[in-house]
Amino acid sequence: MCQEHKNLGNPSHFEGTEQEKTTAHAVDGSFAQYTQGMKFFDPHVHMTSRTTDDYQALADAGVVALIEPAFWLGQPRTGLASFKDYFASLVGWERFRSSQFGIKHYCTIGLNSREANHEALAEQVMEILPLFLQKEGVVGVGEIGFDDQTAAEEKYYRAQLELAKEMNLPVQVHTPHRDKKKGTERSMAIALEHGIAPNMVIIDHNNEETVKSVLDQGFYAAFTIYPFTKMGNERMVEIVKQYGPERIMVNSAADWGISDPLAIPKTAALMKIKEIPDEHIRLVTYQNALDAFAQSGQIQESDFINGLEIDQTQKFNGNTVLRGGQAPRVNKDSLIIR
Amino acid sequence: MKTNIQIAETIAAYANATESSWIAEQKVLTGKALALAFIKAPRFISKALIEVGDFKGWTLDQVVRIDLLTQLDEANVDLLFETAEMQEAVALTRSLSYLNNPENFLLRATDAVRSNMGPVFDAIAFGNTYPKDYFSEAAWNQLVLKCIFNDKAIHQIIGLDERANQELANTLSDFAHERWSAGRRVPSQVWRLVPKFMNESLHADIEKLAQSENPRDVLAASLVKQEVQNPGSTQGLWHELEKPEPIYSA
Repeated sequence: MCQEHKNLGNPSHFEGTEQEKTTAHAVDGSFAQYTQGMKFFDPHVHMTSRTTDDYQALADAGVVALIEPAFWLGQPRTGLASFKDYFASLVGWERFRSSQFGIKHYCTIGLNSREANHEALAEQVMEILPLFLQKEGVVGVGEIGFDDQTAAEEKYYRAQLELAKEMNLPVQVHTPHRDKKKGTERSMAIALEHGIAPNMVIIDHNNEETVKSVLDQGFYAAFTIYPFTKMGNERMVEIVKQYGPERIMVNSAADWGISDPLAIPKTAALMKIKEIPDEHIRLVTYQNALDAFAQSGQIQESDFINGLEIDQTQKFNGNTVLRGGQAPRVNKDSLIIR
Repeated sequence: MKTNIQIAETIAAYANATESSWIAEQKVLTGKALALAFIKAPRFISKALIEVGDFKGWTLDQVVRIDLLTQLDEANVDLLFETAEMQEAVALTRSLSYLNNPENFLLRATDAVRSNMGPVFDAIAFGNTYPKDYFSEAAWNQLVLKCIFNDKAIHQIIGLDERANQELANTLSDFAHERWSAGRRVPSQVWRLVPKFMNESLHADIEKLAQSENPRDVLAASLVKQEVQNPGSTQGLWHELEKPEPIYSA
């Protein structure tokens, strides 16, 4: 989602001590020693754009469940069938692919803000959204909201808020890169205007400038740890120190841009090093996201916390068969390929 | 079309009062509204495991979904196939024989055979009468070979003996040669497909099998020989070999 890779440096408003920084830099590459026994829930990651190597890394790092929001593909789609197939792949193939690595895959479905600007097509997409929003494992309407803050974006944001209200689903709101503060305020005001309870709305891609207002008004505040254009995890640590863990969640928003699917475990390690209490780490990297999206009625922690339950139809032969009977997990250090 | 009084009987036996009234409300719907009922079913119907009858091993929500599908028009059934999530795809695939004009859905069935989603493939392959009743020989052979290729136990395919054919036996022999060249095996029970279609090449395969260090292969070879000499005499004896074999986990 973050196509503007201007390296602006790290505009941190908060600074750790020199000692903390030294420690953090010394543990690069072995962060996992700080996250032993932790489990993570990534409420925003575009796995369709990632390889199986990433699934394996996520599983190894303790990510047990994730949410894939519907978004755009880096270029606009030209027909309804592309949207339909994309949505179907989020609830079909991607869900299965994830299960092969023991990770529970949920998604949110919606018309993203960029493509809301193609109104003729947007109308058709609105027609098929109800087919997908009521499926098993669809945990919200998302990601929707503003990009350029055009009239068309507002129209379809409002229409989708109504769908969310009707189906009693949480809303995952993308906030714009440009003019973020105003766009965020506007997104929240419109949600309230439509009578949506703030606890049913997850305002995404927050930063130091937006967080206070989001929390004060009772919304969930999600932070995307994404190089260059969004939050760095050192800044994230400072935010948790300042605001505490309530209604705050961290995500990776990893996609086809330069991004890091391990953003959550790495941020947890940094929090541990910087002596954030374990319970606070658990809340912002796991529990708060779970609580927010479980309001859809489509998430049971018991479905994934002790490993994925193997479907009855898969039971007779395990669930490891992908293609040609291959095991999905391979030892990547091995020179020999069998 | 497979008519099945057991759909109604199963639902009556397993659904509680709230579920039954939800089902009754949905069954008066048509078109897209009925399709939406199919989608929403798990929000209203439990996943109680059916323990007896034709639907043994299914869950109640799946049986209810099939009940709704039997009343749905073809265009909307197509729409559901095109937008299906994984559990819906399983229910749709299992429902094929119960739909009106099942032969119209042949492409959906062969697409399920092509699926890389394990549960969807299994829904067409195992415990489903649709392939036996509607697949061409080529489609049938593709189904059986994909099971073997994916190391899945073929005895769960309905109609395995009835639809056995010379072409399948020959292809199986070729496939076994490929596997043997790569230093791999084929699951022992697959040789049950060949006794009626023995030729020179297959005789050689069975002799090779009989020399195997793997006792399961040796048993398979002796069962094939016995069946060739005395057709029908090995019925039930393949049971020992009806297990998945972890071919790739060497």
